Amino acid sequence: MEHDDEDVDEHDTPAEVDATFRTLRRVAITHFVLFLAAVAGVPALSLTLDWWSGGRLAGGMSPGFAMAAFGLYAFFLVIGLAAATLSSAVEARMLGGRQDDEDRYADDTYPSDGETS
Amino acid sequence: MTATSIGTLVALIALVALITLVVRPRGTSTVDFYLAGQRVGVATNALAICGDYFSAASFLGVAAAVYVSGLDGVWYAVGFAAGFVPVLLFVAAPLRRFGEFSIPDFLGRRLASERVRLVAVGVVQIVILSYLVPQAVGSGITWQLLVGHGLPGLSPYATGVVLSTAVVAGLVAFGGMRGTTWTQAIQFLVLLGALVWLAVVVAGSGFHYSEAVADLSAEPLANPVHDESGWHLQPESNQLDATQPATFGQPGAAYGPLAQFALILTLVMGTAGLPHVMNRYFTSPTGTAARMTTVWVLGLAGLFYALAVMLGTAARQQIAAAVKHHPWLEELTVDGVLRVPEHALPVLGRIYGGDSGLAVVAAGALVAVMSTIAGLLLAAAASWGHDVYERHINPRATQSQAVWAGRASTAVVALAAGGLAIAMQPAEITPAVPSIVAAMVTWAFAIAGSALTPVFVLAIWWRGTTAAGATAGMVVGGLVSVTMFVVGALPIGPGLGEMLMTPTLVAAPLAALVTWFVSRATTPPADVERQWLVLHGTAADRHAERLARLTIASLGPKSRRSARSGGSARSGADTAGGDKGGHDADG
Repeated sequence: MEHDDEDVDEHDTPAEVDATFRTLRRVAITHFVLFLAAVAGVPALSLTLDWWSGGRLAGGMSPGFAMAAFGLYAFFLVIGLAAATLSSAVEARMLGGRQDDEDRYADDTYPSDGETS
Repeated sequence: MTATSIGTLVALIALVALITLVVRPRGTSTVDFYLAGQRVGVATNALAICGDYFSAASFLGVAAAVYVSGLDGVWYAVGFAAGFVPVLLFVAAPLRRFGEFSIPDFLGRRLASERVRLVAVGVVQIVILSYLVPQAVGSGITWQLLVGHGLPGLSPYATGVVLSTAVVAGLVAFGGMRGTTWTQAIQFLVLLGALVWLAVVVAGSGFHYSEAVADLSAEPLANPVHDESGWHLQPESNQLDATQPATFGQPGAAYGPLAQFALILTLVMGTAGLPHVMNRYFTSPTGTAARMTTVWVLGLAGLFYALAVMLGTAARQQIAAAVKHHPWLEELTVDGVLRVPEHALPVLGRIYGGDSGLAVVAAGALVAVMSTIAGLLLAAAASWGHDVYERHINPRATQSQAVWAGRASTAVVALAAGGLAIAMQPAEITPAVPSIVAAMVTWAFAIAGSALTPVFVLAIWWRGTTAAGATAGMVVGGLVSVTMFVVGALPIGPGLGEMLMTPTLVAAPLAALVTWFVSRATTPPADVERQWLVLHGTAADRHAERLARLTIASLGPKSRRSARSGGSARSGADTAGGDKGGHDADG
């Protein structure tokens, strides 16, 4: 969704935020499960499969050592980038649309997070 | 130590001091002193977070842990790097959008409770001190190796501790978050530069990573121990299979099956509770910028730890081979293996670059220590100055008084950390753990991950979290983790001790459960729906982006054209938020 300055509404309604919150929660949990599977999976494979820590890739490094030494870091970047891009896209699509005044949250002056402190 | 080495170190410290002087806070507002005006851009903040996060434990400790324990040491690198994924998924954007000064401030306002704030201050201070002491230990060890002699009346180790904490405390008190942000960013580039230089010269000398792992794994892993008969090599016992020798490329040299997962989980959970790292997110212009900052951090962390693991492996192979050509290695090694594993990178630097190489690596180590100490002292200052002094001791304090309270607290906390580091005897603890510096930092991660992270995540993602629940969760998580440390430090048998020293696997779920149960029995804050809009809405982000666009547009026709094309070319506020806020602030 694309907005010019004039079209951007600097207020969110509770319903919009709640829907976005639920979607973001789903995005975060899905990515976290994938992340956890990889982080726990690499040491788990080292403990359970001989070829994972005993096998040799080109040059002599085992698949398990290669994953722990550099493969996992690439995975963290990919999953982080995917989650950030998706989360930001969700927010852009679900929040910031112009709403009728009566649908807005009751307090017109609200919110700007800097104003809460 | 040569004149070149001294010159390198002096030039580095002078550079950091100069940057602090140039970009110091101009006013006396607390937002400027603690949060750098909340206008730190994506790239700058990512570099500063890396400077904050990559401490002596990362620079010296990860390579040392790999050097001593092989694959079991690599789990440190995995855990340290992985910690930012949960931060990105659950914490970064909402935390920034809520927009406070510190973790206690966030929890206190979110749960509308001064008791929560004060309990959080207590936990945060324990985490900060647990993290500060190993940094000071790391600087002492580095000074000992690099300079070898101390100030009058002080040992070389104590001199390193005193000088590093004193210099950084002075810079932080003077420069605040703005000065610290830029010095941390520069310090991280210096740190990364030292690591890249070392990796390039090692690789250029014919080192073959994959073959080195295979060669080192072909024989039992043995490390120096000191007993009645003096120094000698002792094979590591295999924690997974007592009938097999432990080897470099296989798990089991340091941790049993459960302890391996416990270590990784402790580091993964701990990052989201580290006060000095989380405080940096409050300096981002928007929540989206905070999220994109974390993506940058993940990339930089991956590069950094991959290099650290490679160099730990290289040190294990190359130092043993270099002993016959470098007589100075005799007193540092036992049959080709270093007595103090934290010496791995500095020694590798000296082998390949002579005294200048040693100076480059030592400068990297000191920079890692200094930038992390700076972040920790700032977090301590924000916590004491804002959450205690401004809130409870002198609620009518002027901005100037509050800033001076923060400055005074940096001095007190630095003094406490330096005193504790000097009182400790790292040489006596080193044989018990793969790397004393990495192990001590792990304790800080454990307390943070057990006491703060569960409460923190629940406060962000569950409306039902209450002040009573959060207080109970922090207390239970903190107490359980500390109790498990104490029990783990006792001689209770192989495997179990290591697991208890990384207690998050047990303590964090327990803290989350207690928070949930107590919260269910009590009432959430009355304005939770209003808070939800701030945490998970993007109104403030859009407001900040609009202001940024207007500011750019007001600069001139040329800037206006680029701002307009940037705004229309981008598809969605996602990239615009992260990029624009950051670009504007960077400029």
